[in-house]
Amino acid sequence: MNFKKQFVEGLLTKNPVTVQLLGMCSTLAITTSLFNGIGMGLAVTIILTCSNILISALRKVIPSQIRIAAYIVIIAGFVTIVDLAIQAFLPDLSSSLGVFIPLIVVNCIILGRAEAFASKNGVLASAIDGICQGIGYTVALIIVCVIRELLGSGTFGGGLLNNGEGIRLIPAQFPAMQIVMPVGGFLVLGFVLAGSQWLMKRLDSKK
Amino acid sequence: MKKESNFLYVIRLTVTLLLICVVMAAALGAVNGVTAPIIEQLTYEKTQRAVSAVLEGGGDEVADFPAMDMISKVYHGENGYAVEVTPTGFDNTITMMVGVNNEGKVTGISIIDHSETAGLGAVAAAATSAGEAFRAQFAGLSSTISVTKDGGQVEAITSATITSRAVCDGVNAALALVAAMG
Repeated sequence: MNFKKQFVEGLLTKNPVTVQLLGMCSTLAITTSLFNGIGMGLAVTIILTCSNILISALRKVIPSQIRIAAYIVIIAGFVTIVDLAIQAFLPDLSSSLGVFIPLIVVNCIILGRAEAFASKNGVLASAIDGICQGIGYTVALIIVCVIRELLGSGTFGGGLLNNGEGIRLIPAQFPAMQIVMPVGGFLVLGFVLAGSQWLMKRLDSKK
Repeated sequence: MKKESNFLYVIRLTVTLLLICVVMAAALGAVNGVTAPIIEQLTYEKTQRAVSAVLEGGGDEVADFPAMDMISKVYHGENGYAVEVTPTGFDNTITMMVGVNNEGKVTGISIIDHSETAGLGAVAAAATSAGEAFRAQFAGLSSTISVTKDGGQVEAITSATITSRAVCDGVNAALALVAAMG
């Protein structure tokens, strides 16, 4: 068990967003305010951890020919449970994330971790992997969210702070609206990827 | 590993998958049992809030109304009608509630659901001063409504003319329905 190694991998060296480039669709679509990023990140972390635990526990029972079908059923089940719970208890989050919660079913991070990690490792290691990868995804989303929200809407903490309007840091007439649009998503994501590569190179050369 | 015959192996595949499905379905059923009434209550409250936000005193749903474009639900109260309309916006349909009083004048509008661009068309529904200013323009109007760019009386939201036009279309449809219902 190597919690520290798994944590560094999830956060930086094998980050699902910036290194593995998994789950790009949701990453680009929902990262327009801090509230969305945190909500989506938590939802994915919970689903990823639960499905990793169950898949790892069943890894010797599930025949390899039907493993993908079995994984998808398990993942879809957890996604629907989380979706219903969010609709019932966090209706604001549900209306702002909309269809992207059900779409976590086809988010490749979850199936990717099930196939690459949970199906080969023990329950505890898989649970830790789910949490670490989930945190990595959440942190990457939050970074993209904060940059896009600041440059695109001129605010910080939209949907969460200051009655949901966010704290205005740039006067309303200046922000570049394009950053909130899909184009801006690609641009910001590109810079975040470059930044994480630079950080990893720097850490490597220090060793 | 014990060698299984082909037939037994197929049975094992099927049964394993079936068991996983049964367990997940049971879990889903249990969760749905807890959340379904809460979600229904939330949806009902949201609709009631939308009705009383546009029409003083609120109203009850009317099942029987003339079939017209964009009209999805009609509520009738002592002060007039609240009509749920679904005009087509920039990306998708906008679901909005329009209040019309007994004199055929708009009392207010409220946008319930939409998928307009965040920061542009979404301003129409936002609880910000810009959004409220946009929606407030409709109160008291009764003739055919359009944005100033089309020679009308409603100041469109900056860079969101299509959304603004859609909202006008919705209000016009609601006015037409109320006129048809007398």
